[in-house]
Amino acid sequence: MITLDQVSKSYDGVSRVINNLSFEVLEGEILILLGSSGCGKSTILKMINRLIDPTEGRIYLDGKDIQQQDPIELRRSLGYVFQGIGLFPHFSIRENISMVPRLLGWPEDRINNRYRELLELVQLSPEIHADRFPDELSGGQQQRVAVARALAADPAYLLMDEPFGALDAITRDSIQQEFLDLKQRLNKTIIFVTHDIIEAVTLGDRIAILHEGRLEQIGTSEEIMENPATDFVRELFAKSVKFWKGFKNIS
Amino acid sequence: MNITSLTDYIIERLPEIWQRIGEHIFLAGISTMTAVLVGIPLGILAFYRPGLRGPLLGIVSILQTIPSLAMLVILLALFQKIGVIPAIVALILYALLPIVRNTLAALQGIAPEIIEAARGIGMTEWQRMRLIRIPLGIPVIMAGIRTASVAGVGIATLAAFIGAGGLGEFINRGLALSNTRLIFLGAIPAALLALLVDLVLGFIEKVCDPKRNRHWSHRFHFALKLSIVLIPLFLLIPVFISSPPWSSQTAGSSERNETKGINVVRIASKNFTEQLILAEMMAQMIEKRTHLSVDRKFNLGGTIICHQALKRGEIDLYAEYTGTGLMAILKLPAMNNPDEVYHRVSEEYLNRFNLVWLEPFGFNNTYTLTVRKQDAVQNQWKIISDLIPMSSKLVAGFSGEFQERPDGYPGFQKVYGFKFGEVHDLDPGLIYQALAKGAVDVIDGYLTDGRIPAYNLISLTDDKKFFPPYYAAPVVREEVLNAYPDLREALAPLGSLIDNTTMRVLNYEVNGNRRGVSEVVTEFLQDKEVL
Ligand SMILES: Nc1ncnc2c1ncn2[C@@H]1O[C@H](COP(=O)(O)OP(=O)(O)OP(=O)(O)O)[C@@H](O)[C@H]1O
Ligand SMILES: [Mg+2]
Repeated sequence: MITLDQVSKSYDGVSRVINNLSFEVLEGEILILLGSSGCGKSTILKMINRLIDPTEGRIYLDGKDIQQQDPIELRRSLGYVFQGIGLFPHFSIRENISMVPRLLGWPEDRINNRYRELLELVQLSPEIHADRFPDELSGGQQQRVAVARALAADPAYLLMDEPFGALDAITRDSIQQEFLDLKQRLNKTIIFVTHDIIEAVTLGDRIAILHEGRLEQIGTSEEIMENPATDFVRELFAKSVKFWKGFKNIS
Repeated sequence: MNITSLTDYIIERLPEIWQRIGEHIFLAGISTMTAVLVGIPLGILAFYRPGLRGPLLGIVSILQTIPSLAMLVILLALFQKIGVIPAIVALILYALLPIVRNTLAALQGIAPEIIEAARGIGMTEWQRMRLIRIPLGIPVIMAGIRTASVAGVGIATLAAFIGAGGLGEFINRGLALSNTRLIFLGAIPAALLALLVDLVLGFIEKVCDPKRNRHWSHRFHFALKLSIVLIPLFLLIPVFISSPPWSSQTAGSSERNETKGINVVRIASKNFTEQLILAEMMAQMIEKRTHLSVDRKFNLGGTIICHQALKRGEIDLYAEYTGTGLMAILKLPAMNNPDEVYHRVSEEYLNRFNLVWLEPFGFNNTYTLTVRKQDAVQNQWKIISDLIPMSSKLVAGFSGEFQERPDGYPGFQKVYGFKFGEVHDLDPGLIYQALAKGAVDVIDGYLTDGRIPAYNLISLTDDKKFFPPYYAAPVVREEVLNAYPDLREALAPLGSLIDNTTMRVLNYEVNGNRRGVSEVVTEFLQDKEVL
């Protein structure tokens, strides 16, 4: 369980990018952070990973304050899919995926089994893709590799920052579907950032809606659609609700 | 010159060419490698300590603006040593800037998303440096190393000025003897070497680039290739240590020379023809008339370098001129009587430095102003004062030494009361040619220089008796004279053996007729029946 307790963040010491934010991510759920560009979604993930520190408030991982933990160990225990992928261009796919296990000092044969398993898990072929380099893969394949890298050391938590951004609609649909299957098998607790409502509704167990660094509402998609807490949420969902209802009727 | 004689000329010198190339690679190689070992950590330090960046880059930039010769002389004073060590240090200092600057730029130039990802998956600071920044920065770092190496091969030609060997040796000798072939003998291999280094490092740069060269590379492959290039360089080091290039002038004596000059006399010369002739003359006399062997450390870059080396016991003797000793070394006021100068100089040298002046060779090689004969006839110039009416229109070409010494241009202006319109700093080896070709109108010629008649030049009479007497004589360390009593005897026949005309002829044989120094000297000594 991840708990944010009255967390605020200011980069410049004046304006708050995150403002007094509290919510919980429950064991085994996918919590979607939904909000428009610049509302502070990536900032939240980075604080959980201690890439940056909150200005105020506390973050707990399984009840333990992350500020009390060693940041290097903390980061290795959390899977992170970075916005913009962030694969290392000079390492092959195999080396990219094996990086965290290697940093953790796994034995070589375990690493070898692991990267194959992961490539297969994200629907890539160890034979074809393992020795390629990131720029020799398509955008969608790179995003799969980024997911595989985040899963490498089998972390209990996954932080995913728009992992399927910048994909065309068709590819995105299929990769989301795979992701749902994957999630079923893996049983991880996931924070998933997106600004796409359809993606949020499709993938999320619950959705947290952010606006200018504040939490507008948190709940399942049904709860939010039935009872939007603020005008912002109502407007945000106004279009999508119609679409969504139509979609449900068809299926 | 026809092709065969040129080929012969080269073939004859092939062993020395190889030796000089070896020394050159040694100088440039070891200094660049050291600069890499120092410069990359400095670049990393600058990366982590922004506060240090400004000062550090400032210092290495300033180092690079110091003119190479000035740098060599400063280091000479600092190390109290001639030869390889100050030369290598100078080369290292020059190589630092491109390496430090490129290392810093490389580390700063990595895309921030990649660094954030590296941090985010839990790499430590050091792991990020080792696994991300350095590998991704290698092309830029290599480009810096390449720049430094190529420049190093060029600058290493100057090492010969302080007796460190290398291809500069040919260039220096060529300049001293105004022998273009010799200059090319050094300059062409140096240029080819620079080109080769550029190509090889360009290749390594490509191999190292993790983005361009990944499939047939991988760090293992790349390391293999890097070592193929670097290992031979490293292997050179022990080879050179076992036969150090700084004592390679006479291969046979190099080992004994290492044990602080037992049975070896180290003779030096400054870098012009007459000095080479005198030094060779003394060398042959000692070789023939004693059991001692001679280490020739010829062509050192000027009076101060020779004198300092002698004082510190790095060389045992060289030929100095009384006037130079009086004013440039002892900083005493000018005197006109040759005997007085000689006695004063001998006395002071013995008291101050424990150095002994032996009997002078006989000629007086004073400085004097020299012009083209044609101009002299046309303008009726005979004495220096005749130049006064036209002086502001005349362009002078003076050697660096002449422009600085109190008995050179500064004192000259006071005594004669006039200046020249323009003064250019010229290498002593090129000065006569520059005058003959019309690039300048007046030079500081040596009275005994063979090129004065050869180029149709004429020396003007010093009507105000400003230029002091410059009688040449061997200057020897007292310690060495005591250790080898037959040394004094061996050199004695050279006393008063050479008058001005003879010296001019000998100089001309070498400069004008392009004959080898040792051949001319042997012939002369045999002719005089002193050998
Ligand atoms: N290092 C930083 N220094 C100063 N301001 C920053 C920094 N990083 C982010 N910000 C600001 O904080 C706000 C939130 O940024 P954040 O990256 O969290 O947005 P986001 O919700 O992830 O947006 P997007 O959907 O575009 O990725 C933005 O206004 C951004 O300009
Ligand atoms: Mg973001």
